[in-house]
Amino acid sequence: MTLPSVADSVEPAGATVGSGPPEEATRRGAGADVFRAVAHNRKALVGLGLLLFFGVLAVFPGQIAPDDPRAKIYPRGLGPSVHHLFGTTAYGEDVFSQLVFGTRQSVLIALAVGGLATVIAVIVGVSAGYLGGKTDGVLSLITDVILVIPIFPLIIVIAAYERNSGFFTLVIVLGALGWSYGARQLRSQTLSLRRRDFLEAAVVRGERKRYVIVHEILPTMTSLILASFLGAALYAVLFAAGLQFIGLGDPNSQSWGTMLYWAENNEALGAGMAYWAIMPGVCVALLGAAFALLNYAFDEISSPALRLRKLERAGVDAERATAVLAVSPDPKNILEVRGLSVAYASEHGPVVAVDDVSFDLRRGEFLGIVGESACGKSTLVYAIARLLGAPLAGEITDGQVLFKGRDMVTLSDKQLRHIRWRDYSVVMQSAMNALNPVLTVAAQMRDACEAHSTMNKRQIEERSREVLRLVSIDPVHLHSYPHQLSGGMRQRAMIAMALLFTPELIIMDEPTSALDVVGQRSLMVQIKELQEQLGFAVVFVTHDMSLVRHFSDRLLVMYAAQVAELGRTAQLFRKPLHPYTDGLLEAFPSIHGPKEHLLGIPGSPPDLLRPPAGCRFAPRCPHVFARCTAERPRLLEVDGELVRCFLHDQPVVPVVEAKEGVA
Amino acid sequence: MSEPLLRTEGLTQHFRVGKLFSRQRLHAVDDVSFEIGRGEIVALVGESGSGKSTIARLLARVYKATAGDIYFEGKRVSTLRTRRQRLGYAGDVAMVFQDPYSSINPAYRITHPIERGIVLHRRDVARRRRENEVEKTLGTVGLVPAGRVAGKFPHELSGGQRQRVGFAAALAGKPKLIVADEPVSMLDVSIRIGVLNLMSELREREGLSFLYITHDVASARYVADRVLVLYAGHLVEEGPAEDVLQRPKHPYTQLLLSAVPDPRAALGISDAADVGEPPKVIDPKEGCRFRDRCPFAIAECETVTPQLREIGPRRRVACHVAEPDV
Repeated sequence: MTLPSVADSVEPAGATVGSGPPEEATRRGAGADVFRAVAHNRKALVGLGLLLFFGVLAVFPGQIAPDDPRAKIYPRGLGPSVHHLFGTTAYGEDVFSQLVFGTRQSVLIALAVGGLATVIAVIVGVSAGYLGGKTDGVLSLITDVILVIPIFPLIIVIAAYERNSGFFTLVIVLGALGWSYGARQLRSQTLSLRRRDFLEAAVVRGERKRYVIVHEILPTMTSLILASFLGAALYAVLFAAGLQFIGLGDPNSQSWGTMLYWAENNEALGAGMAYWAIMPGVCVALLGAAFALLNYAFDEISSPALRLRKLERAGVDAERATAVLAVSPDPKNILEVRGLSVAYASEHGPVVAVDDVSFDLRRGEFLGIVGESACGKSTLVYAIARLLGAPLAGEITDGQVLFKGRDMVTLSDKQLRHIRWRDYSVVMQSAMNALNPVLTVAAQMRDACEAHSTMNKRQIEERSREVLRLVSIDPVHLHSYPHQLSGGMRQRAMIAMALLFTPELIIMDEPTSALDVVGQRSLMVQIKELQEQLGFAVVFVTHDMSLVRHFSDRLLVMYAAQVAELGRTAQLFRKPLHPYTDGLLEAFPSIHGPKEHLLGIPGSPPDLLRPPAGCRFAPRCPHVFARCTAERPRLLEVDGELVRCFLHDQPVVPVVEAKEGVA
Repeated sequence: MSEPLLRTEGLTQHFRVGKLFSRQRLHAVDDVSFEIGRGEIVALVGESGSGKSTIARLLARVYKATAGDIYFEGKRVSTLRTRRQRLGYAGDVAMVFQDPYSSINPAYRITHPIERGIVLHRRDVARRRRENEVEKTLGTVGLVPAGRVAGKFPHELSGGQRQRVGFAAALAGKPKLIVADEPVSMLDVSIRIGVLNLMSELREREGLSFLYITHDVASARYVADRVLVLYAGHLVEEGPAEDVLQRPKHPYTQLLLSAVPDPRAALGISDAADVGEPPKVIDPKEGCRFRDRCPFAIAECETVTPQLREIGPRRRVACHVAEPDV
């Protein structure tokens, strides 16, 4: 369910609550990847093309230009013609030749200033970020001061002092003032890297500081350094032309800015020599555009999220639901999921993260959904809650979600707003991400109440206190901010918010996984007690089977986007039918009984872009036989449970729908 | 008894917290003394915030202890001055990190940290034999075929594989002790056991010692010889793993054990009524840090900080109430 090219740690669920994967996405090492990305990026191609064009002009002006740019040998002020593409100047020089010869200085200034500014930015930014403390204080202060100085007036003052400033003065002045923005970015990037363990690993290994900075930090920031260079180059082209235009450059130099200066002095526009005045400006704009386009392009290449297109439906190969979807829902069920499939767009094509999943949920039932990371469990419940959306846009490609008899898949956003929170609510994995850090608990509850009900202020306050008491939080914490609560309390507050309207269904996505065992246990007990007291149904997603052992009525085990097994919890623990379930149970060491050597499950889950041809668990299965790799197993009913495994494919009629009752 | 591989004496780490001129101090680790023997796997068990990662970083010399000392093979670590001495210690004591997604530099192939370990700590390995040595190390942690794995970038590996790279990087310098800070907590259930088994194998084959830091008591029992229980910066109980986990003496250890989800055991919902949480230890006063959650607290717990005391063979507990087995 994750984009395979991106790091596989990130579940889209996390992204939905705000802890997105862009940082992970910047990881790419292979040069071939970058090359391919550039070749497919229109901005990069146009930018590189422009740069190449000006590069050729800058290197071979003599071969390209028809004339000596300073030869005042033609009639003055000619219009454009075959002989003089852009006419002549007021002094009888060929405008086109001047443009060609002027390219070199602009390109050189861009490269030199870009290089100088980037070197300073890297040294200042990375040292400030990595060394921290006083060094950071001083360097940041300097950076900020330079950042807020109105640069253009300052440069005018400096350049005016150094009258007729030539190439080197320009480069040094522009370079010395143009690094601050890049330094700021590099500093904050370094700061965020400082918390990455690989830097600490290098220190523990015994590396020197210098090595850590040069060999561990810098290589991870190449795209940012490149961006800093391109930004400074762009700024240099514009500023140099501007300075020369107002006459602060060397009037005898050959550059676009100087051309503008002379054109302006001769009122070229009014005197019928429009091209003399316009073309240098066009060239400045084009060269600037080249740098800007490249900058955009590298931004896109280093964060794939920016360029993923919408899912192409045609390419999705979800196994079609064979069930008759016209069967009317059973009123005893609060939720019926039928043949639900969800796919994500990825760089390498659609990834089916949930593949034809069906189950029923009785009113007041507790269903556990268990599986490893990237098995599709979070995507499944987010699809049910209709919370799939940007940034990792997953899309429901097939199936129905009947909540109280209505198909959620077809509801509009407006219709959803009516039932979300009132009839069903969602508790996210990380309360720290789901709660707004700048609002008190009371304010967040008020927002929810105002959006979803017509309660007045007093009623809201009363209800808020009531739900906090339900989850054993003292109502004095109503006016606390999330960071003032402990981890366990935040998670409880989230559950309290989910209870505001006494919904009939609460979907919980690993609500306890951020907690310690003791807190985890007490939260589970609390959830169960609330459920018994208030009667809501629960869909509980977890990677830890043992956690829901004593709390869930039924368990749905997911493997590689599919249902592997669905059955009553007690029976499933007693007699797991699927070898994967069996393996999961065997993967937990126990604190009681004899100490046994465990093996876990060898291998790792398959890549959902290329799932194995037969059974998806076959490559890791200890009981695999010929049929497993040749055929796709269907869900079979065995002792009233459902299992997707050929081991149980005795002469029994295969079924597809989960229709059995609750224990 | 002969000198253990590593020994800490009154190890203490305080952090300044709060605003600029605040004098408040967070007592992350207070007066912790323990030993790790040669070829021994010691589990350090505690909840988040108990100070266990701080201890890892003290041993790895990321932090300089506020007070107390670490002795490695009898030598006081704080007296290591020269680059060579420090490098020597870094080679002897390696570390495996919790998050396999952030502990490998994404800009390099996964062999980078292994190669650096060899370059820094095994100068006897000639340059042309390095590649060979890297592949051998990858093989040691079960990453095979090493030749193919070696060419990969971190994002091409699964979490379990990356954690094996983490172990390979730690092994590269031929350490005597590996401090493993929650090495399996971010891995999927089905591959955790594999990494735990790897630690046992490395101990058997290479004679390595481990400090296995975890919040998962069951995994500590599975892999460790001895268990140390940490609560709010204090060591509250220690002893042979089986002994501590089957007959916990400290009320905190008992609470911790009762909360472990065990699918094979019957449920006793009532025994998990505790909703308290570990305290943030800022400028603490005397007294037991567990007293507010403790069902057995007596008056003495308010005023006297319990010290670790012997209650059996190699068995110590810091509690005024706990009694030795009769």
